[in-house]
Amino acid sequence: MATPTHKTATAAHIRNFCIIAHIDHGKSTLADRMLQGTGVMNERNAREQTLDNMDLERERGITIKASAVSVDHVWNGQTYELNFIDTPGHVDFHYEVSRALAACEGAVLVVDATQGVEAQTVANLYKAVDADLELIPVINKIDLPSAQPEERAQQVEDVLGLDAADCIMTSAKSGVGVKELLDAICDRFPAPQGDPEAPLQALIFDAVYDDYRGVVVYFRIINGRMKRGDRILMMGAKRTFQVTELGKFRPQMVKVDDPFEAGDVGYMVAAIKTLGDVNIGDTITLDTARCDEALEGYEEPVPMVYCDFYPSGDTQFDELRDAIARLHVNDASYNYEPTNSEALGSGFRCGFLGMLHMDIIQERLEREGRVSVVQTAPTVTYEIDCIGKGGEREMIQITNPAELPDPSKVKAIREPIVAAEIITPTGSIGDIMKLCDSRRGVYKNQKFLADDRQILEYDLPLAEIIYDFFDKLKSITSGYGTMDYHVTGFKQDELVKMDVLVNGDAVEALSLIVHRSKAEQRGRHLLKKLKEQIDRHLFEIPLQAALGGKIIARETIKSVGKNVTAKCYGGDVSRKRKLLEKQKKGKDRMKRIGTVDIPQGAFMAVLDSGE
Amino acid sequence: MPDHSAQAQSLYLHLPFCFHKCHYCDFYSVVDNPGPKPGTAATDAQTPRPAAATDRQPAFTRALVAELEAAHRAAPGPGLRPRTVFAGGGTPTFLRPGLWDQLLASLHQAGTLEHTTEFTVEANPETVTADLMQRLAHGGVNRVSIGAQSFQKASLDALERWHRPESVRSAVDACRAAGITNLSLDLIFAIPGQTLAMLDDDLDRLLELEPTHLSTYGLTYEPQTPLTARLRVGRVTKVDEDTERAMYARVLERLEAAGFEHYEVSNWARATPDRRYRCAHNLAYWTNANWLGLGPGAASHHHGHRWRNAPNLTRYLAHWDQSEPTGPPPTEDHERLAPEDRIGERLMLGLRLSDGIEHNWIQANVPAGHRRAAAIDELVAIGMLERTATHLRLTRRGLFVADTVVAKLL
Ligand SMILES: Nc1nc2c(ncn2[C@@H]2O[C@H](COP(=O)(O)OP(=O)(O)O)[C@@H](O)[C@H]2O)c(=O)[nH]1
Ligand code: SF4
Repeated sequence: MATPTHKTATAAHIRNFCIIAHIDHGKSTLADRMLQGTGVMNERNAREQTLDNMDLERERGITIKASAVSVDHVWNGQTYELNFIDTPGHVDFHYEVSRALAACEGAVLVVDATQGVEAQTVANLYKAVDADLELIPVINKIDLPSAQPEERAQQVEDVLGLDAADCIMTSAKSGVGVKELLDAICDRFPAPQGDPEAPLQALIFDAVYDDYRGVVVYFRIINGRMKRGDRILMMGAKRTFQVTELGKFRPQMVKVDDPFEAGDVGYMVAAIKTLGDVNIGDTITLDTARCDEALEGYEEPVPMVYCDFYPSGDTQFDELRDAIARLHVNDASYNYEPTNSEALGSGFRCGFLGMLHMDIIQERLEREGRVSVVQTAPTVTYEIDCIGKGGEREMIQITNPAELPDPSKVKAIREPIVAAEIITPTGSIGDIMKLCDSRRGVYKNQKFLADDRQILEYDLPLAEIIYDFFDKLKSITSGYGTMDYHVTGFKQDELVKMDVLVNGDAVEALSLIVHRSKAEQRGRHLLKKLKEQIDRHLFEIPLQAALGGKIIARETIKSVGKNVTAKCYGGDVSRKRKLLEKQKKGKDRMKRIGTVDIPQGAFMAVLDSGE
Repeated sequence: MPDHSAQAQSLYLHLPFCFHKCHYCDFYSVVDNPGPKPGTAATDAQTPRPAAATDRQPAFTRALVAELEAAHRAAPGPGLRPRTVFAGGGTPTFLRPGLWDQLLASLHQAGTLEHTTEFTVEANPETVTADLMQRLAHGGVNRVSIGAQSFQKASLDALERWHRPESVRSAVDACRAAGITNLSLDLIFAIPGQTLAMLDDDLDRLLELEPTHLSTYGLTYEPQTPLTARLRVGRVTKVDEDTERAMYARVLERLEAAGFEHYEVSNWARATPDRRYRCAHNLAYWTNANWLGLGPGAASHHHGHRWRNAPNLTRYLAHWDQSEPTGPPPTEDHERLAPEDRIGERLMLGLRLSDGIEHNWIQANVPAGHRRAAAIDELVAIGMLERTATHLRLTRRGLFVADTVVAKLL
């Protein structure tokens, strides 16, 4: 760690900003270039892409955790402190993005000079506008032969309503335009406003877990002052801590001795043991001199997609429990609780912000926690309007079809609805609309984006897009379609629980909630998939899908016809025994329901919509 | 030589030479001097041909004799005194008659055959001659197992099995002329392209030959055989499962009607009250008796310890064909089973026999409450196993899926 320093700038010379872009348009590369331009980084660690510090992120090309880096830049003979606040790039992290934006005065909007405006460009722009940020549009990758900087600048004007003349042309690759961009940030973005004399109000926009320090909280002071030794209160979480260290990322952690004032961005360490204790968007104030009101916009994170993780292979339940708890310490974005399934044994029901989030957590569990898990098909949260135990009307939330009360008690089932914005090549518009219609989408709007691009707005049930919607979208548009969405509320529909019976026994882990109009088709397809997954047994196995006792689809798995190795003489004994043992081992890893062995893959068969 | 070669009640000799490699075969065999495909040239396989580049038959015979002598020295008392001897291959009848004489002489000299009641030699019909059979009979061989496999040219071609259908009859005649009347014939079914009608014809022709014993095999696609390679690339189509099942059922039905008792999954003996045509040597395998295997690739078993000689003629000769063998003989795949696993293996083997396994043995080895006991009950309940007064055995339904059934008991 570098030695403690004094602060370099007062509010008038601070610029807090973020970079927003569609995935792959060059946000990380440009950020690195800007750090280099200010002399913070050399070529070598530039390659490490400091602001994007997790393997997984790099692999998947997405940013999971926001962070902040402070650099100095000289413009017009004066030194400015630029605080670059990174925002998560994926659709599942809307709320975190909005909090990072709330810590900024300006946003650099990056558009790829070859690709032009995409779904997340639009979605991020709206968010920046909602957050009242000043904007600098940047057309990046102008070094590429297929770049069309002028056309893209015009598109920025036509579609986004920003002045084409304000666009800065850059190549993050070669460094062209980067100095101009840094100057523009000092010039065009406003200095933070805020009253250093007012009671402390600091916004938490991110937090990470560090093995040595515990939780490191990223914050922006809106009003007031904070210094080492202060006793602080997290207003939403209602917890107090003592600040033991304040500092900035330059890009290494550098302690700062001076108090932080309105406008400052930095990190804080306060002996916080787990990330579960810190909520993004929460307001920090002084415990001894509290502000009257917390900052606006704080929301409890609400998971929308749920699935179960069960230990598989050699992994034991205890190992899975430890791995989940350990990961949660440094990524509190998901929640979990123990669960039990007759089919899969003991495991955890986990809630996620979205599908990608779920995939990331599963991957991190397996990679960092070294466990192997079976994941059940994801489901969304449902609101159930029903008659409670005492006969009174009540509203409960369920995250698992198995929790659905007896049908006679259920008055209505409501499901989460998202507002989706899909950007598609004009040629694919008909097929995309067909896709949305088949997923019970409600058409909202269609906007022209460029000669060959359109924006489609649809309201869609979340449950209809957690399966294979993205894959379908990509294949219809040959990879060119993009989508952004956020949950807007719950809506009642004709939803029913479909049971799946294997050899006459209902298997809860296979049941699902479906729209009545689609039940039969889903049921038939699910049974076909199950039939592929379940081995033939010594007896015939009927598979049935049922709605409240009424069979709507059936399949039969024939019994084994002939399975006997012809010869078994002296030399064959060992080999044959090993062969059969292997078969048996395979069976042991399966889940036994009644007398039927069901492989773990069967539980994912539910995922495939079959459309 | 593992020292417990002692009280082996059975002796297996592996004679690894073939004149052609059949495409389904995964036995250890070598083709040093390839023979012409019978029927395509004027010669048959036993006709002397120009000396091959390599002729390892004499060296092999010396080596096998040396290994036998070592086994005698290692055995307690007078030496090896097996009750059954089985010469398999490879193609034992492709070993030249003069070399067979040497081998038989060595067995007699050591008294190996003193207590032997069953001495079987495997034969490829194309290599059976009256002369060889006389020498074998004279040397104590009293049973011959002939690889007939099929009588349809199309089927033999599909298997790349090189013999002419008509040579099966001449081989049978040659054996009988030499006084060997205990004759077993092998039959393969579910050959690519085979129909039920073709199988019926094969069965007719087998039965016409009036063997005392039959082995019937559903064709197995062994890994790393040319046939399996052809299957992978789609040049061969498997007989579908339903047809294969029907074929097995047809074999059962026809051979039972012809007076054969089905005493093991793939083996049949002409029914007699004293069961004398059952193969005593193979029964030793299925009852987990101790046996000693000599020759490259031969497997042995002694009280739960299994191993085999390395299937490598070069290494075999390097060790045994020297005046004073030094160092350990090339063996591999040593396996010492835990008592629990031996029980599973015994069940796996014993249930292949139509008699099944005695209740007494099961009571002693599968305690109530053990997972195997529960599995047995379940298998009885669904009609795969049945209990007779004295034994636990496969039902007719269970027989067709014997592997799935026994896998649950391992
Ligand atoms: N040719 C060229 N490639 C660039 C430029 N900026 C970024 N890239 C490449 O575009 C890809 C995506 O960049 P990255 O910074 O990871 O995008 P992010 O997802 O927005 O952070 C990477 O392969 C970069 O090397 C540029 O100005 N010119
Ligand atoms: S004759 Fe027998 S050992 Fe030789 S290749 Fe054919 S099947 Fe194999």
